[in-house]
Amino acid sequence: MARLIASVGIAHAPGVTGWIDKAPRHEQDAVLAGYAEFHRRMKELKPDVVIGVANDHLLNFPMENIPDFCVGIGDDWEGPAPWFRDWLNVPDYKVSGHRALGRALVRESARAGINHAFAEQLLFDDNWSVPLKFLFPEYGVKFVPIHMNCIVPPMPAAERCLEVGRQIARIVRDFPGDERVVLMATGGLSHDPGGPDYFTVHEDFDRWFMGLMESGDLDRVRREVTFDKLLTGGDGGAAELLAWLVAMGAAAEHGQPRGENVFYVPSVPMRCGMGGSYWSLS
Amino acid sequence: MGIRDTDRTLPSNRMVFELRRDPAAYAEFKRDLEASMARYGLTDEEKRAWREVDLSTLARLGVHPYFLPQVSRLFKGGGYNHNDSEAARLYAEKMHIAGGAR
Repeated sequence: MARLIASVGIAHAPGVTGWIDKAPRHEQDAVLAGYAEFHRRMKELKPDVVIGVANDHLLNFPMENIPDFCVGIGDDWEGPAPWFRDWLNVPDYKVSGHRALGRALVRESARAGINHAFAEQLLFDDNWSVPLKFLFPEYGVKFVPIHMNCIVPPMPAAERCLEVGRQIARIVRDFPGDERVVLMATGGLSHDPGGPDYFTVHEDFDRWFMGLMESGDLDRVRREVTFDKLLTGGDGGAAELLAWLVAMGAAAEHGQPRGENVFYVPSVPMRCGMGGSYWSLS
Repeated sequence: MGIRDTDRTLPSNRMVFELRRDPAAYAEFKRDLEASMARYGLTDEEKRAWREVDLSTLARLGVHPYFLPQVSRLFKGGGYNHNDSEAARLYAEKMHIAGGAR
């Protein structure tokens, strides 16, 4: 049986790869140290497979047809998508997929009443290009991307994201194989691409959210992580944190909903609250 | 204006979506804005806003907020997109908000 060995929630701001030199030295150091700590943990864990969960930044889902979740079942992935290359300043990369696990995620979720879309091909932007570069710079893992809608209302509610995470954990557990799997949710924290808070970071909001992750209190999550509340962390960006609830739901299924806050750096030059939480499940 | 005010059916949303996915469409956009706008069936009001990079009007018409800084990048390029970059300054100016450069 395959095993989920860790859940991760981590920011993926394009500024980290695109223009980090514009941030003050202490911010640069703190952000890079945070990513380095996650990299260290991943090297230690040596996962075979990474299931990613992140916002689709209006790149693959056209406005006329936006699923809540879409599982990438292709054999091979590459990035960054052409239009994002110079913006991200991430060298072109390739990473293998895991078709059998991707298909299982779609098939078994459907049996549990969760309707995931799926795709052979997906364009990658900052959602994967930034965290993969820092956490898995060798690109040696098999990668199953799950693109979700955190950006065009209506978005999936907190409870649904927790449930999707729980279901992912069950599917991995029942998957025939011996793969060691990490769930990497990425997005947030406070940021507002295209809104009045474009050049603002909401530290209080970020600390509230990371505190929730640390509390492991699912009832509080259900109660407090409302659509309206997410908008206060940046109208067009903070709802990416719904992905972290998938990570938390998966950890809760393993009886370990309490996350560990590894780092947090509010950075106006990166136009994003930068941080990461970690759930050890091994 | 915010994500709740998006008009998903607005032709401009289709245009931005496609320009970021299709290098040939983006090349045409840079060469001939009018041809691009005609191809995606923009209304006269949208066309006027695009000609002037009038982002706040595009926002009012229902362009998704996430696309607005990307419109500035379609015109000014996306590389090295720090708060004092041409694209970020254009966005701040056209949206009438204080920039983030230090």
